[in-house]
Amino acid sequence: MRDIFFDLSVRSVKLNFLRSLLASIGIVIGVVAVSSMGMLGTNMQLSVKDQLSSDVNTIMVTSDVVRTTSTSGVPVTSSGIDKSTLNDITTAAGQNDVVPIHHTSTQFTIGSTNGRGSIYGLDPNDVPKFLTVQEGSLPKGLDDALVGANIANNFNMNVGSRIKIGPPDTPNRPTVRVAGILAARGFASDGVNTDNAIVVPDLWYTNTYGSYQIYDQVNVIMQNVDNINVTEAAIDNKLNSRTQVVRISDASSRLTTISSTLGTITTFILAIGGISLVVAAVSIFNVMMMSVNERIQEIGILLSIGTERGEVRKMFLYEALILGVIGAAVGGIMTLVIGYSVVNAMIGSTAYFFLPDSLLYVPEGMLIGIVVCVASGLYPAWRASNMDPIDALRSE
Amino acid sequence: MATTPLIRLSEVTKTYHLESGDFTALDHVSLDINDGDFVAIMGPSGSGKSTMMNQLGILDVPTSGELLIDGRNVANMTTLERTHIRRDIVGYIFQKFYLIPLLSAYENVEYPLILKYKKRDGTGRAAAMLRAVGFDEAMSEHRPSQLSGGQQQRVAIARALVNDPKILLCDEPTGNLDRKTGLAIMDIVCDLNREGRTVIIVTHDPKIAEYARRTVVLEDGRIVQS
Repeated sequence: MRDIFFDLSVRSVKLNFLRSLLASIGIVIGVVAVSSMGMLGTNMQLSVKDQLSSDVNTIMVTSDVVRTTSTSGVPVTSSGIDKSTLNDITTAAGQNDVVPIHHTSTQFTIGSTNGRGSIYGLDPNDVPKFLTVQEGSLPKGLDDALVGANIANNFNMNVGSRIKIGPPDTPNRPTVRVAGILAARGFASDGVNTDNAIVVPDLWYTNTYGSYQIYDQVNVIMQNVDNINVTEAAIDNKLNSRTQVVRISDASSRLTTISSTLGTITTFILAIGGISLVVAAVSIFNVMMMSVNERIQEIGILLSIGTERGEVRKMFLYEALILGVIGAAVGGIMTLVIGYSVVNAMIGSTAYFFLPDSLLYVPEGMLIGIVVCVASGLYPAWRASNMDPIDALRSE
Repeated sequence: MATTPLIRLSEVTKTYHLESGDFTALDHVSLDINDGDFVAIMGPSGSGKSTMMNQLGILDVPTSGELLIDGRNVANMTTLERTHIRRDIVGYIFQKFYLIPLLSAYENVEYPLILKYKKRDGTGRAAAMLRAVGFDEAMSEHRPSQLSGGQQQRVAIARALVNDPKILLCDEPTGNLDRKTGLAIMDIVCDLNREGRTVIIVTHDPKIAEYARRTVVLEDGRIVQS
């Protein structure tokens, strides 16, 4: 049979239905805010992690030596990896693909439109190892180039378009023909951001810019991402044992940084959601104090005919618990609806919504809501149970 | 044969500290009440009747002096022990009935049993009590606000008796009832005394006091007639 104190609490809540309902709505809003904000953050993290981890299998090697002068006396500000260093990297990389990359930025002209973008020099055989040609084909001739998705779109480039490379006032600018358009990569964590770039064969690049067998970056594409630390150590060992020659990095460390930043953002938006729970706590506290103050005489009756103080306390804590459980239950259900909509609207995908990491915020938010409610009822319950029965009886 | 009285007040003083100065509501009162007694406590308002009632009902403790219930000193009890005395040894009947508004008539009577045994009544005792005080069984599910004054006081008496207390403490039990209903309630109270229960009635009504075998008159916190 049910506890009479629980029955009394249920009846008190029913008696003051509207007031209790309003206080519960506060908890509903608090639970929805905390849960959906938590879900939003988690979904954001999961989605970014998934996007990034597709190319975290790449080790980026750049020169640590900044050449200040070239042999011809012209100042060179970029650093480079020379042929012997590349050979060492290839040896250290073992079975994994090694892709040497030339890179600079340039002005160009298509038709009568001038533009600016990155230009990459790559061995055409290396292109399919990490880039996807969406339209057209891989470069066949020396003058064949690939263009990124954004640049193609912005400058209306098509397969067959011709691009003059170099500042517009230069006479006899070299020309390349668009052989293919690359698929959009978004933020490339292997350092090769082709979306706004022109990719030319390495020979065309060195014919135009020099830097023959001097590379700006060398990427090692791992066959198995789990060995990435071993290979990095091997390269480091081979090249940097005496002096620091190359700088080695991989996207996994960047992924960690981004994840932790997103984690901070998640905590922050959770805290904002938490504010609404604080407001809810105040309203629950208010309702509980009203309930105690309205029932002073009843409390006096209970105490004078032999109700223990603990039992009176229990009665009021049950009341707070009922408000909390109702608020949390409705809040939990609404979180599924509202959280789904928010995640869909903000992230554009609900692929991660039903993963445990994300759904966990529903019971968590509900639990927090109930705890907040009961905690708000602690003082009112204590106050009720510590009344003097004579004074309480006498109050009208 | 000298038996220990059920209630013994010796030199009981109760002083209230008010902003206007200390007020002595009971002034060195000594009184013995034996098992089976029927005592009326009378006096004009402000004489200390209510304070006396609170002392006898263990709702309060004396400022000085000793109050022994069943041989135990109230001042030496913990709050919880006093609560248990109120639950098990004293039954209360108030002028304003003081039923629990959220409980039905039946539940109000069942309530002290739940306090004592920590479970709902399965023995039928609560229902039997209601019948014994002449409460209309058809109304057991009614809330107190749906009952007449006489019916409410019957429920209150049933509630006071359900844990079989040694002492029945009545504070102006007929004060809120019409004459006829008041007489019926007093008949019940007298029957209870005849069955051997100690009854203490606090009243200012001499007609009610006539039912008692012994009248104690208070004036300015002192006993002037016993």
